[in-house]
This record gives sequence, C-alpha cells and structure tokens, in this order.
Amino acid sequence: MAQEIGEAEFKLLVAAAGLTLSAAQLATLRHGYGLFRALLARVNEPMPREAEPALTFDPDVR
Amino acid sequence: METFLTIAEAAKLLAARKLSPVELTRSRLDRIKKLDGRLHSFLLLTEERALADARAAEKRLMSGQSRGVLDGIPIAHKDIYNTAGIRTTAHSRLLEHNVPARDATVVRKWAEAGTVMLGKLATHEFAMGGPSFDLPWPPARNPWNTDHFTSGSSSGTAAAVAAGLILGGTGSDTGGSIRGPAALCGIAGIKPTYGLVSRAGILPLAFTLDHSGPMAWTVEDCAILLQAMAGHDPEDPASANRAVPDFRAGIGKGAKGLRIGVLRHFFTDDHAASEATIRQIDEACDVFRRLGAEVREVTLSPMMDWHACNTVILTAEAYAVHEPWLRTRFNEYGELLRDRLALGALLRASDYVQAIRRRRTLCLELAAAMRETDILISACAPGEAPRIDAVSKWNMLENPSFTAPFNLSGNPAMSVCTGFGTGGLPVAMQLIARPFEEPLLFQAAHAFEQATPWREKRPAFD
Repeated sequence: MAQEIGEAEFKLLVAAAGLTLSAAQLATLRHGYGLFRALLARVNEPMPREAEPALTFDPDVR
Repeated sequence: METFLTIAEAAKLLAARKLSPVELTRSRLDRIKKLDGRLHSFLLLTEERALADARAAEKRLMSGQSRGVLDGIPIAHKDIYNTAGIRTTAHSRLLEHNVPARDATVVRKWAEAGTVMLGKLATHEFAMGGPSFDLPWPPARNPWNTDHFTSGSSSGTAAAVAAGLILGGTGSDTGGSIRGPAALCGIAGIKPTYGLVSRAGILPLAFTLDHSGPMAWTVEDCAILLQAMAGHDPEDPASANRAVPDFRAGIGKGAKGLRIGVLRHFFTDDHAASEATIRQIDEACDVFRRLGAEVREVTLSPMMDWHACNTVILTAEAYAVHEPWLRTRFNEYGELLRDRLALGALLRASDYVQAIRRRRTLCLELAAAMRETDILISACAPGEAPRIDAVSKWNMLENPSFTAPFNLSGNPAMSVCTGFGTGGLPVAMQLIARPFEEPLLFQAAHAFEQATPWREKRPAFD
C-alpha cells in the first residue's frame, strides 16, 4: 500500500537531495516514492537491541 | 547434429570425436544469425573470437589434451562481465563504447576451462533497469512467445539458452536476476552462496547482495558451469576462502531421505501466484514424496518483510554506485533505471542501517528454519511471463519478490521448470539450500528434473 507524500513536501525532499528534475520526472518519482515509503516503514519497525548490523556477515549465519 | 544439445550431451560427443568444436560453434553462430533478429538476446557477436576459441579447443581434443567437460562448449557472457578488448556496455548508453582492459575473473576461468565465447548478452540496464525501450539496444524477448517478457536482469542469457543459441551463460543476481529470467524462459539457473563465485570484474549493482552464477538448460549443466566459476579470489573482498566441492557429487543420488520444507505462505498468501504455479509446486512436492523425501510446510516472516529489506539495501547501495553519474549524466540513463535509482537519493542514513539490522534478524530466522530442513521450496515468479509492454516501472515496489529473501541471506537458490501455464509459457519453482550446500541443492533439483518430462520440450521458435 503506497504512502503518498504531498507535492510541496516532495519537492523539498528532492531539492535537499540535490536532484534537478523536470515536472514529469518529479511526478513519476513522487508516485514511486509513495510505494517506496511503505517499504521504508517496514524496515523501520521496532527491533530488538540484539539486531546488530555488525553481525550480518557472521559466517555461521550465511 | 541435434538442434538442441545440453552441455553434458555435447561434451560426450566432443570427447568421443563424434562432434567437433568448430562444427558445434558454427551451428550456434548460424542459429544466432537466423533467429536473434527477433530475440535480441545478443548485444555483440564475437564470431572471430568464437571460431579461434573453437579451433584451439579442436586442436586440444585431437591431441588428447582436453581441458575437461567444458572444452569446446559455446557460451556467452551477460554484458556486465568485463571482457578484455571486447566492448562491455551494461546495456547502457553510459558505457556504449567501454572496452575493458581485463577479463572478469569468471570470464577468465571459463576461458581457461576451454569454453568458446560467442559474444555478449543483453541485460537490464546495469542489471536493474528493464525492460527498457529507450536504450541503444532493444530488450531481449522471450523465445516461448516474443511478445512476452524474459524477466531480468539476465534477460539475454535466459533467452539465448532457451532458444538453443548458446549452451550456457553467465548471469548475475541481486534480487532474483538469475532465477527470475530462468523461470520465465523455462531454463535452469542458480544463484550460488554469497562468496562462492568471484564478482571481480563484474559491474556492481549492490555490493552486499550481488551474486554471480550460471544459467543453462539443465541442472547438471549448471553444476558443470559452476565448477568452472567457483573458488576463492583475493580480488573480490567478499570471496569465501574455502575448498570447492564437486558440484556433481549428488547428481543421480535421488531425493530419498531429504527433509524438504515448503514456504507455502510465500506463494499462496504473501504474494498469490498463478493457479498453475501453485498446482505445479504441489505436484513437485508429490514427486519428492514419491522419491522418498519428507515434505512439510515451513513458515517464515511475511515475504514483504524480506522484500522491503532487500529493496532498501539494494536501492541505497545502487545509488552509492551510481551517484556520480546521476549527478552529471542523469538523462543518459534509460528512464526506467534513472527513476528507480533516483529513489536512493531520498533515503535517510537510518533507513539503510535499520534495513541492515532487519537483515540480521531475518537471516537468523532462516538459519533456524534450515536446521530442520535440507531444502526449502518456494515459487520463483508469480506465474507465466507477462507481455513485455505490460511491465510496470515500479514492479519492484508493488509486489514482494519470491527470490530476494535469499539475496539477503546469501543462501544458494535455484530455479527449476515445473511445467507450463495456461498460456503455454513456462512456470517454475525455487529450491533453496543451506550456505555452501550447492551439491545437495543440485542433487534435489536433478532428482526432480529426472522424474518429470519438462526438459524434453523446447520453444518452437524456428
């Protein structure tokens, strides 16, 4: 489920990222970003403190 | 000569001197010239190089100095693999005239094994942007129906193998780019364990998710090709320094006693696959039971959790790779890749870190599940190939991927054809093993392949 973002807020976000986009590029990227935000919300759900990125490459896990 | 030959079949004929490498190579070159105008699987045909390779192989075979089972076998490389002195474009305008000075490690290893290189194969732009129609070359087409998508990003390799233009080829897989096109084109393809095959000299997409692997018509051919790819390479910082096993050790041993877990909720609830895909996975489970395996359901976190994690990491890492060009040559990318990559500019640092932390918890969960099972089964794609003009720019965000979980975890995973759907196009399942247990993965996949008739049917493309 997409999490839409307002046009003005999205323009600010794009400007802060240093991208220069046409109006059409801005519109299509805004749609994609709405879908992407739903995925970002998933990875930002609370996790236990033991979920340490430093252990991602533990050879016993991979 | 048979129109279609597997690597194992051709190797036997070559060893018995019933077929010459030059004859085999010429037959593939003729077939490419006849058919590839409709398939677009090749970006570059290296005919002179191929014939030189074939003559050298012939000389070795005739003088009793064969380099082994791959000596004289025609192959081609996905065009993100660097080839010394031969154009390597990533199917992108940005590298349209790029000629590397050195071979990728895998390219070198396959050449040392005696393979005959026919050329460079279509890919989605930089292994992420496709199918695109605004690049210097068209996208590859599915030989089962050229109006349909191959999937990607190893699109040219899958199409060329299925159509019998090559006997095997290289792919790369960051979220499913070997297994997806293998599934939709009805061939076999393996994403090996992370670290088993060197990525040195392969254009990167996402460092911690990129895998190199082989694609071919059969499971055994994939094992043969992987044998000549695997091994430690100090030039790849993720390369595992461990002995390479015999990947064909389990071929022919059947499936008796194997513990097989089915990730059914992945393809029935989390992302409902087509009726044919589900039915044929159920039938595959019955085949494994008849072969003496124990089959039961396994439950993991929802597939969207895996997919979100993979997509955030992939987008962040790909953006890091491409940022300098995105800032200076933004409009030289194809629209599809450009827009997908641009999302990376909108990520926060904490998003990437949280995704890596999530990855850790998911990897632990999978490792625990695999202590109780030898092989996992899931779908590889939601169904048959869609029309090539019906693929959404944002498909990677709209539905969870069946293949991405095993890029996150690094486990070996393989696409195996399970038959055909109502549209007459192939459908497939995915088999997954514990890290570095490729011999067991090949054993199970080969047992299924031998028990079913799906390797007998080729696309009627001529």
